Amino acid sequence: MLGQLDSADGAVVADFEAGLGTVIRMGDRPVDVVVLVTEPTVKSLEVASRAADLVRDHKLGRLVVTANRVRDDADVTRVQAAFPDVDVVMVPDEPAIVAAERRGEAPLDAAPDSPGVRALVGLADRLLPN
Amino acid sequence: MPAVPIAAPTIEPGLQPGPDSGLRSAEPSYGGPVRVAFVGKGGAGKSSIAGVFARLLARDGAQVLALDSDPMPGLAYSLGVPNRETGIPAEAVEEYEDDSGRRRHRLRAGLDAGAAIELYSTVSPDGVRLLQLGKTRGVKGENSLSHQGYQAILDALQKQRSAEPDSTGSLADWAVVGDLPGGTRQPFFGWGRFARTILVVVEPTPASLLSGRRLARLAEKASAPHVVAIANKTREEADADLVQARTGLQVIGEVPFDPAQREADRRGVALLDLDSDSPMVAAVTRLVSTLSAKEPVR
Ligand SMILES: Nc1ncnc2c1ncn2[C@@H]1O[C@H](COP(=O)(O)OP(=O)(O)O)[C@@H](O)[C@H]1O
Ligand SMILES: [Mg+2]
Repeated sequence: MLGQLDSADGAVVADFEAGLGTVIRMGDRPVDVVVLVTEPTVKSLEVASRAADLVRDHKLGRLVVTANRVRDDADVTRVQAAFPDVDVVMVPDEPAIVAAERRGEAPLDAAPDSPGVRALVGLADRLLPN
Repeated sequence: MPAVPIAAPTIEPGLQPGPDSGLRSAEPSYGGPVRVAFVGKGGAGKSSIAGVFARLLARDGAQVLALDSDPMPGLAYSLGVPNRETGIPAEAVEEYEDDSGRRRHRLRAGLDAGAAIELYSTVSPDGVRLLQLGKTRGVKGENSLSHQGYQAILDALQKQRSAEPDSTGSLADWAVVGDLPGGTRQPFFGWGRFARTILVVVEPTPASLLSGRRLARLAEKASAPHVVAIANKTREEADADLVQARTGLQVIGEVPFDPAQREADRRGVALLDLDSDSPMVAAVTRLVSTLSAKEPVR
Protein backbone atom coordinates (compact mmCIF):
# COMPACT_ATOMS: atom_id res chain seq x y z
CA MET A 1 0.00 0.00 0.00
CA LEU A 2 2.74 2.42 0.93
CA GLY A 3 4.49 1.60 -2.33
CA GLN A 4 1.48 2.88 -4.26
CA LEU A 5 1.28 6.24 -2.61
CA ASP A 6 2.23 8.94 -5.04
CA SER A 7 3.60 11.56 -2.75
CA ALA A 8 4.75 14.01 -5.36
CA ASP A 9 2.37 16.69 -4.09
CA GLY A 10 2.24 15.85 -0.44
CA ALA A 11 4.15 14.46 2.42
CA VAL A 12 3.65 11.04 3.92
CA VAL A 13 4.61 10.62 7.54
CA ALA A 14 4.53 7.01 8.69
CA ASP A 15 4.77 5.94 12.32
CA PHE A 16 6.20 2.44 12.44
CA GLU A 17 6.37 -0.18 15.11
CA ALA A 18 9.18 -0.30 17.60
CA GLY A 19 12.38 -2.09 16.90
CA LEU A 20 14.39 -3.06 13.87
CA GLY A 21 11.68 -5.02 12.05
CA THR A 22 10.54 -2.13 9.91
CA VAL A 23 14.02 -1.16 8.85
CA ILE A 24 14.80 -4.75 7.94
CA ARG A 25 11.57 -5.16 5.97
CA MET A 26 12.05 -1.94 4.03
CA GLY A 27 14.57 -3.94 2.05
CA ASP A 28 15.61 -2.00 -0.98
CA ARG A 29 12.76 0.53 -1.07
CA PRO A 30 14.22 3.78 0.13
CA VAL A 31 12.29 6.74 1.50
CA ASP A 32 13.27 10.41 1.59
CA VAL A 33 14.11 10.54 5.26
CA VAL A 34 14.34 7.94 7.96
CA VAL A 35 13.75 9.55 11.36
CA LEU A 36 15.24 7.47 14.08
CA VAL A 37 13.72 8.21 17.47
CA THR A 38 15.69 7.22 20.53
CA GLU A 39 15.64 7.91 24.22
CA PRO A 40 18.77 8.72 26.20
CA THR A 41 18.79 5.29 27.82
CA VAL A 42 21.49 2.68 27.28
CA LYS A 43 18.90 0.22 25.98
CA SER A 44 17.26 2.59 23.53
CA LEU A 45 20.59 3.87 22.21
CA GLU A 46 21.72 0.31 21.57
CA VAL A 47 18.71 -0.39 19.37
CA ALA A 48 19.02 2.98 17.66
CA SER A 49 22.64 2.50 16.70
CA ARG A 50 21.85 -0.89 15.21
CA ALA A 51 19.00 0.67 13.27
CA ALA A 52 21.26 3.50 12.06
CA ASP A 53 23.78 0.95 10.78
CA LEU A 54 21.03 -0.80 8.83
CA VAL A 55 19.73 2.45 7.35
CA ARG A 56 23.22 3.40 6.18
CA ASP A 57 24.20 -0.08 4.95
CA HIS A 58 21.03 -0.43 2.89
CA LYS A 59 20.95 3.21 1.82
CA LEU A 60 17.34 3.54 2.94
CA GLY A 61 17.29 7.32 2.97
CA ARG A 62 18.67 10.42 4.62
CA LEU A 63 19.12 9.69 8.30
CA VAL A 64 17.85 12.08 10.95
CA VAL A 65 18.31 11.06 14.56
CA THR A 66 16.25 12.57 17.33
CA ALA A 67 16.62 11.89 21.03
CA ASN A 68 13.42 12.31 23.02
CA ARG A 69 13.02 12.98 26.76
CA VAL A 70 16.47 14.47 27.16
CA ARG A 71 16.77 15.70 30.72
CA ASP A 72 20.30 16.86 31.48
CA ASP A 73 23.90 17.05 30.30
CA ALA A 74 24.50 13.42 31.21
CA ASP A 75 21.73 12.48 28.76
CA VAL A 76 23.19 14.67 26.01
CA THR A 77 26.62 13.14 26.54
CA ARG A 78 25.26 9.60 26.38
CA VAL A 79 23.41 10.33 23.14
CA GLN A 80 26.39 12.01 21.51
CA ALA A 81 28.65 9.14 22.49
CA ALA A 82 26.31 6.74 20.68
CA PHE A 83 26.10 8.98 17.58
CA PRO A 84 29.44 10.79 17.37
CA ASP A 85 29.04 11.73 13.68
CA VAL A 86 25.42 12.83 13.76
CA ASP A 87 23.86 16.17 14.62
CA VAL A 88 21.15 14.73 16.84
CA VAL A 89 17.94 16.71 17.38
CA MET A 90 17.52 16.82 21.16
CA VAL A 91 13.94 17.01 22.44
CA PRO A 92 13.75 17.87 26.14
CA ASP A 93 11.80 15.83 28.66
CA GLU A 94 8.53 17.74 28.58
CA PRO A 95 5.93 17.44 31.34
CA ALA A 96 3.40 19.22 29.11
CA ILE A 97 3.62 16.36 26.58
CA VAL A 98 3.11 13.74 29.29
CA ALA A 99 0.13 15.66 30.64
CA ALA A 100 -1.37 15.99 27.16
CA GLU A 101 -0.99 12.25 26.58
CA ARG A 102 -2.82 11.47 29.77
CA ARG A 103 -5.69 13.69 28.63
CA GLY A 104 -5.66 12.20 25.15
CA GLU A 105 -4.81 15.54 23.57
CA ALA A 106 -2.33 16.35 20.84
CA PRO A 107 0.71 18.13 22.30
CA LEU A 108 0.66 20.63 19.44
CA ASP A 109 -2.82 21.76 20.55
CA ALA A 110 -2.27 21.48 24.27
CA ALA A 111 1.12 23.14 24.66
CA PRO A 112 2.38 24.64 21.41
CA ASP A 113 4.82 26.96 23.17
CA SER A 114 6.40 24.46 25.52
CA PRO A 115 10.10 23.78 24.90
CA GLY A 116 9.38 20.13 24.08
CA VAL A 117 6.84 20.92 21.39
CA ARG A 118 9.03 23.70 19.96
CA ALA A 119 11.85 21.19 19.63
CA LEU A 120 9.51 18.92 17.68
CA VAL A 121 8.62 21.76 15.36
CA GLY A 122 12.36 22.22 14.83
CA LEU A 123 12.61 18.55 13.96
CA ALA A 124 9.89 18.96 11.33
CA ASP A 125 11.88 21.78 9.74
CA ARG A 126 14.89 19.51 9.49
CA LEU A 127 12.89 17.00 7.47
CA LEU A 128 12.12 19.36 4.61
CA PRO A 129 14.44 19.09 1.63
CA ASN A 130 17.29 21.53 2.15
CA MET B 1 -7.22 19.18 15.57
CA PRO B 2 -9.55 19.19 18.56
CA ALA B 3 -8.60 17.18 21.58
CA VAL B 4 -10.12 13.74 21.72
CA PRO B 5 -12.59 13.75 24.60
CA ILE B 6 -12.32 10.96 27.10
CA ALA B 7 -15.61 9.15 27.44
CA ALA B 8 -16.94 8.34 30.86
CA PRO B 9 -15.70 4.96 32.01
CA THR B 10 -17.98 2.22 30.82
CA ILE B 11 -17.71 -1.47 31.33
CA GLU B 12 -18.86 -3.48 28.38
CA PRO B 13 -21.19 -6.32 29.14
CA GLY B 14 -19.28 -9.55 29.25
CA LEU B 15 -16.00 -7.84 29.95
CA GLN B 16 -16.65 -7.52 33.64
CA PRO B 17 -14.86 -10.20 35.62
CA GLY B 18 -17.44 -12.60 36.90
CA PRO B 19 -18.13 -16.28 37.31
CA ASP B 20 -19.29 -16.75 33.73
CA SER B 21 -17.04 -14.37 31.87
CA GLY B 22 -14.00 -16.57 31.55
CA LEU B 23 -12.03 -13.80 33.22
CA ARG B 24 -12.02 -15.32 36.64
CA SER B 25 -10.65 -13.47 39.59
CA ALA B 26 -7.66 -14.84 41.45
CA GLU B 27 -8.60 -17.93 43.36
CA PRO B 28 -6.98 -18.84 46.64
CA SER B 29 -6.05 -22.32 45.44
CA TYR B 30 -2.39 -22.46 44.69
CA GLY B 31 -0.96 -25.49 43.02
CA GLY B 32 2.47 -25.21 41.50
CA PRO B 33 5.02 -22.56 40.78
CA VAL B 34 4.01 -19.12 39.51
CA ARG B 35 3.77 -18.99 35.73
CA VAL B 36 2.99 -15.54 34.45
CA ALA B 37 3.25 -13.69 31.15
CA PHE B 38 3.45 -9.90 30.95
CA VAL B 39 1.64 -8.44 27.95
CA GLY B 40 0.54 -4.95 26.90
CA LYS B 41 1.37 -2.04 24.67
CA GLY B 42 5.02 -1.26 23.95
CA GLY B 43 6.33 1.09 26.61
CA ALA B 44 3.68 0.12 29.18
CA GLY B 45 6.35 -1.25 31.48
CA LYS B 46 6.29 -5.02 30.89
CA SER B 47 10.05 -5.53 30.96
CA SER B 48 10.63 -3.21 33.89
CA ILE B 49 8.05 -4.93 36.05
CA ALA B 50 8.88 -8.45 34.86
CA GLY B 51 12.56 -8.05 35.79
CA VAL B 52 11.82 -6.90 39.32
CA PHE B 53 9.09 -9.53 39.67
CA ALA B 54 11.36 -12.38 38.60
CA ARG B 55 14.18 -11.41 40.97
CA LEU B 56 11.87 -10.91 43.94
CA LEU B 57 10.30 -14.28 43.26
CA ALA B 58 13.78 -15.82 43.27
CA ARG B 59 14.58 -14.07 46.55
CA ASP B 60 11.50 -15.79 47.94
CA GLY B 61 13.15 -19.10 47.17
CA ALA B 62 11.58 -19.98 43.83
CA GLN B 63 13.58 -21.45 40.96
CA VAL B 64 12.83 -18.85 38.31
CA LEU B 65 13.05 -18.95 34.55
CA ALA B 66 12.67 -15.58 32.83
CA LEU B 67 11.62 -15.84 29.21
CA ASP B 68 12.24 -12.88 26.95
CA SER B 69 10.12 -13.26 23.82
CA ASP B 70 10.43 -9.64 22.74
CA PRO B 71 12.98 -8.94 20.02
CA MET B 72 13.42 -5.51 21.61
CA PRO B 73 16.00 -5.59 24.38
CA GLY B 74 14.39 -5.17 27.76
CA LEU B 75 14.31 -7.98 30.26
CA ALA B 76 18.10 -8.45 30.37
CA TYR B 77 18.43 -4.83 31.49
CA SER B 78 15.76 -4.96 34.15
CA LEU B 79 17.21 -8.20 35.50
CA GLY B 80 20.70 -6.75 35.49
CA VAL B 81 22.15 -9.38 33.18
CA PRO B 82 25.27 -8.10 31.42
CA ASN B 83 25.21 -10.69 28.64
CA ARG B 84 22.44 -9.49 26.39
CA GLU B 85 22.50 -12.08 23.65
CA THR B 86 21.58 -15.45 25.04
CA GLY B 87 19.42 -17.80 23.07
CA ILE B 88 19.29 -21.45 22.15
CA PRO B 89 22.17 -22.12 19.74
CA ALA B 90 21.40 -23.72 16.39
CA GLU B 91 23.39 -26.85 17.35
CA ALA B 92 20.83 -27.62 20.05
CA VAL B 93 18.07 -28.05 17.49
CA GLU B 94 17.43 -30.83 14.99
CA GLU B 95 15.05 -31.23 12.11
CA TYR B 96 12.78 -34.25 11.76
CA GLU B 97 9.80 -35.39 9.74
CA ASP B 98 6.53 -35.90 11.53
CA ASP B 99 4.06 -38.70 10.65
CA SER B 100 2.62 -36.74 7.77
CA GLY B 101 6.07 -36.12 6.38
CA ARG B 102 6.24 -32.48 7.37
CA ARG B 103 9.58 -30.96 8.35
CA ARG B 104 9.59 -29.99 12.00
CA HIS B 105 12.10 -29.07 14.65
CA ARG B 106 12.86 -30.24 18.16
CA LEU B 107 15.65 -30.10 20.68
CA ARG B 108 18.35 -32.55 19.64
CA ALA B 109 18.21 -36.12 20.91
CA GLY B 110 19.23 -36.42 24.55
CA LEU B 111 18.52 -32.77 25.34
CA ASP B 112 15.31 -32.18 27.24
CA ALA B 113 13.86 -28.74 27.92
CA GLY B 114 15.06 -28.67 31.51
CA ALA B 115 18.62 -29.44 30.46
CA ALA B 116 18.45 -26.86 27.66
CA ILE B 117 17.38 -24.21 30.16
CA GLU B 118 20.29 -25.03 32.46
CA LEU B 119 22.73 -25.06 29.57
CA TYR B 120 21.73 -22.02 27.58
CA SER B 121 20.29 -19.51 30.02
CA THR B 122 22.24 -16.73 31.68
CA VAL B 123 22.07 -16.26 35.42
CA SER B 124 21.04 -12.88 36.78
CA PRO B 125 21.67 -11.50 40.26
CA ASP B 126 19.39 -13.36 42.71
CA GLY B 127 19.75 -16.44 40.52
CA VAL B 128 17.08 -15.95 37.88
CA ARG B 129 17.74 -17.91 34.68
CA LEU B 130 17.20 -15.79 31.57
CA LEU B 131 16.45 -17.31 28.21
CA GLN B 132 16.00 -15.10 25.19
CA LEU B 133 14.22 -15.70 21.93
CA GLY B 134 17.22 -14.20 20.23
CA LYS B 135 17.36 -10.67 19.00
CA THR B 136 16.64 -9.79 15.42
CA ARG B 137 19.93 -9.06 13.77
CA GLY B 138 20.65 -8.45 10.13
CA VAL B 139 19.05 -10.76 7.63
CA LYS B 140 15.62 -12.21 8.31
CA GLY B 141 15.48 -15.84 9.27
CA GLU B 142 19.09 -15.87 10.38
CA ASN B 143 18.20 -17.17 13.80
CA SER B 144 15.31 -19.39 12.84
CA LEU B 145 16.84 -22.56 14.29
CA SER B 146 17.42 -20.77 17.51
CA HIS B 147 13.78 -19.62 17.44
CA GLN B 148 12.65 -23.22 16.92
CA GLY B 149 14.62 -24.26 19.99
CA TYR B 150 12.94 -21.55 22.02
CA GLN B 151 9.55 -22.69 20.76
CA ALA B 152 10.38 -26.26 21.78
CA ILE B 153 10.91 -25.06 25.34
CA LEU B 154 7.60 -23.17 25.29
CA ASP B 155 5.91 -26.35 24.05
CA ALA B 156 7.39 -28.37 26.89
CA LEU B 157 6.29 -25.77 29.44
CA GLN B 158 2.81 -25.67 27.95
CA LYS B 159 2.47 -29.44 28.12
CA GLN B 160 3.61 -29.37 31.69
CA ARG B 161 1.13 -26.62 32.54
CA SER B 162 -1.81 -28.92 32.16
CA ALA B 163 -0.15 -31.76 34.06
CA GLU B 164 -1.03 -32.44 37.68
CA PRO B 165 0.33 -29.83 40.11
CA ASP B 166 2.40 -32.45 41.91
CA SER B 167 3.75 -33.99 38.73
CA THR B 168 7.45 -34.64 38.57
CA GLY B 169 9.68 -34.04 35.60
CA SER B 170 12.47 -31.65 34.88
CA LEU B 171 10.20 -28.62 34.45
CA ALA B 172 7.75 -29.07 37.29
CA ASP B 173 9.61 -26.87 39.76
CA TRP B 174 10.30 -23.90 37.56
CA ALA B 175 8.46 -20.67 38.15
CA VAL B 176 8.25 -18.84 34.82
CA VAL B 177 8.09 -15.11 34.14
CA GLY B 178 7.55 -14.21 30.49
CA ASP B 179 8.10 -10.83 28.87
CA LEU B 180 6.07 -10.78 25.66
CA PRO B 181 6.30 -8.52 22.62
CA GLY B 182 4.12 -5.43 22.72
CA GLY B 183 0.77 -5.42 21.01
CA THR B 184 -2.05 -7.82 20.55
CA ARG B 185 -0.75 -10.52 18.28
CA GLN B 186 -1.80 -13.80 19.83
CA PRO B 187 -0.33 -13.33 23.26
CA PHE B 188 -2.53 -15.90 24.89
CA PHE B 189 -1.78 -19.06 22.99
CA GLY B 190 1.37 -17.92 21.24
CA TRP B 191 4.22 -16.57 23.30
CA GLY B 192 2.13 -16.75 26.45
CA ARG B 193 1.04 -20.34 26.16
CA PHE B 194 3.11 -21.50 29.12
CA ALA B 195 1.38 -19.09 31.52
CA ARG B 196 -1.24 -19.79 34.17
CA THR B 197 -1.88 -16.11 34.58
CA ILE B 198 -1.62 -13.39 31.95
CA LEU B 199 -0.81 -9.97 33.34
CA VAL B 200 -1.84 -7.09 31.12
CA VAL B 201 0.25 -4.04 31.95
CA VAL B 202 -1.75 -0.87 31.36
CA GLU B 203 -0.86 2.78 31.80
CA PRO B 204 -3.64 5.23 32.61
CA THR B 205 -3.33 6.88 29.19
CA PRO B 206 -5.97 6.65 26.46
CA ALA B 207 -3.70 4.73 24.05
CA SER B 208 -2.64 2.21 26.66
CA LEU B 209 -6.20 1.78 27.96
CA LEU B 210 -7.42 1.11 24.46
CA SER B 211 -4.74 -1.49 23.94
CA GLY B 212 -5.63 -3.07 27.30
CA ARG B 213 -9.25 -3.25 26.32
CA ARG B 214 -8.39 -4.92 23.03
CA LEU B 215 -6.35 -7.51 24.85
CA ALA B 216 -9.22 -8.13 27.25
CA ARG B 217 -11.58 -8.70 24.32
CA LEU B 218 -9.16 -11.07 22.62
CA ALA B 219 -8.66 -12.94 25.86
CA GLU B 220 -12.36 -13.41 26.21
CA LYS B 221 -12.81 -14.56 22.64
CA ALA B 222 -10.01 -17.05 23.03
CA SER B 223 -11.28 -18.08 26.49
CA ALA B 224 -7.79 -17.49 27.78
CA PRO B 225 -7.19 -19.05 31.15
CA HIS B 226 -6.76 -16.24 33.62
CA VAL B 227 -6.23 -12.67 32.56
CA VAL B 228 -5.85 -9.74 34.92
CA ALA B 229 -4.42 -6.23 34.75
CA ILE B 230 -1.63 -4.29 36.41
CA ALA B 231 -2.00 -0.52 36.46
CA ASN B 232 1.45 0.95 35.87
CA LYS B 233 2.88 4.45 36.20
CA THR B 234 -0.09 5.56 38.25
CA ARG B 235 0.05 9.08 39.63
CA GLU B 236 -3.28 9.51 41.30
CA GLU B 237 -5.72 7.47 43.27
CA ALA B 238 -8.29 7.17 40.50
CA ASP B 239 -5.81 5.66 38.00
CA ALA B 240 -6.21 2.02 38.99
CA ASP B 241 -10.01 2.34 38.91
CA LEU B 242 -9.76 3.87 35.48
CA VAL B 243 -7.76 0.89 34.25
CA GLN B 244 -10.28 -1.53 35.72
CA ALA B 245 -13.27 0.33 34.29
CA ARG B 246 -11.82 0.81 30.81
CA THR B 247 -10.33 -2.62 30.29
CA GLY B 248 -12.94 -4.61 32.17
CA LEU B 249 -10.08 -6.55 33.73
CA GLN B 250 -9.59 -7.02 37.42
CA VAL B 251 -6.64 -4.90 38.54
CA ILE B 252 -4.57 -7.07 40.85
CA GLY B 253 -1.69 -4.67 41.30
CA GLU B 254 -0.83 -1.04 41.03
CA VAL B 255 2.67 0.26 40.37
CA PRO B 256 3.18 3.99 40.88
CA PHE B 257 5.20 6.18 38.56
CA ASP B 258 8.70 5.88 39.98
CA PRO B 259 11.50 8.27 38.99
CA ALA B 260 14.05 5.70 40.21
CA GLN B 261 12.96 3.34 37.42
CA ARG B 262 13.52 6.09 34.86
CA GLU B 263 16.98 6.69 36.24
CA ALA B 264 17.81 2.98 36.20
CA ASP B 265 16.74 2.88 32.58
CA ARG B 266 18.93 5.84 31.65
CA ARG B 267 21.96 4.21 33.18
CA GLY B 268 21.15 0.75 31.84
CA VAL B 269 21.07 -0.89 35.27
CA ALA B 270 18.43 -2.91 37.10
CA LEU B 271 16.16 -0.94 39.43
CA LEU B 272 16.87 -3.46 42.20
CA ASP B 273 20.59 -2.71 41.91
CA LEU B 274 20.03 1.05 41.97
CA ASP B 275 17.40 1.54 44.63
CA SER B 276 15.77 -1.46 46.21
CA ASP B 277 13.65 0.70 48.53
CA SER B 278 11.86 2.52 45.75
CA PRO B 279 8.05 2.64 45.50
CA MET B 280 8.06 0.46 42.39
CA VAL B 281 9.96 -2.31 44.19
CA ALA B 282 7.49 -2.12 47.08
CA ALA B 283 4.57 -2.40 44.66
CA VAL B 284 6.05 -5.38 42.82
CA THR B 285 6.77 -7.05 46.16
CA ARG B 286 3.04 -6.90 46.86
CA LEU B 287 2.34 -8.26 43.41
CA VAL B 288 4.63 -11.22 44.01
CA SER B 289 2.83 -12.14 47.20
CA THR B 290 -0.59 -11.73 45.59
CA LEU B 291 0.35 -14.08 42.79
CA SER B 292 2.33 -16.59 44.84
CA ALA B 293 -0.65 -17.00 47.11
CA LYS B 294 -3.40 -16.93 44.59
CA GLU B 295 -2.45 -18.44 41.28
CA PRO B 296 -5.34 -20.67 40.30
CA VAL B 297 -4.76 -24.35 39.71
CA ARG B 298 -5.01 -25.26 36.07
N1 LIG C 1 6.40 2.47 37.28
C1 LIG C 1 7.21 3.16 36.47
N2 LIG C 1 7.62 4.40 36.81
C2 LIG C 1 8.40 5.13 35.99
N3 LIG C 1 8.84 4.71 34.80
C3 LIG C 1 8.48 3.48 34.39
C4 LIG C 1 7.66 2.63 35.20
N4 LIG C 1 7.48 1.47 34.52
C5 LIG C 1 8.17 1.59 33.37
N5 LIG C 1 8.77 2.78 33.28
C6 LIG C 1 9.56 3.32 32.14
O1 LIG C 1 8.75 3.24 30.98
C7 LIG C 1 9.54 2.94 29.84
C8 LIG C 1 9.02 1.68 29.17
O2 LIG C 1 9.17 0.59 30.06
P1 LIG C 1 9.47 -0.89 29.53
O3 LIG C 1 9.51 -1.76 30.72
O4 LIG C 1 10.65 -0.89 28.64
O5 LIG C 1 8.15 -1.14 28.69
P2 LIG C 1 7.74 -2.39 27.75
O6 LIG C 1 8.63 -3.52 28.11
O7 LIG C 1 6.31 -2.63 28.08
O8 LIG C 1 7.92 -1.91 26.35
C9 LIG C 1 10.97 2.80 30.35
O9 LIG C 1 11.60 4.03 30.15
C10 LIG C 1 10.80 2.52 31.83
O10 LIG C 1 11.90 2.98 32.58
MG1 LIG D 1 9.98 -4.57 26.87
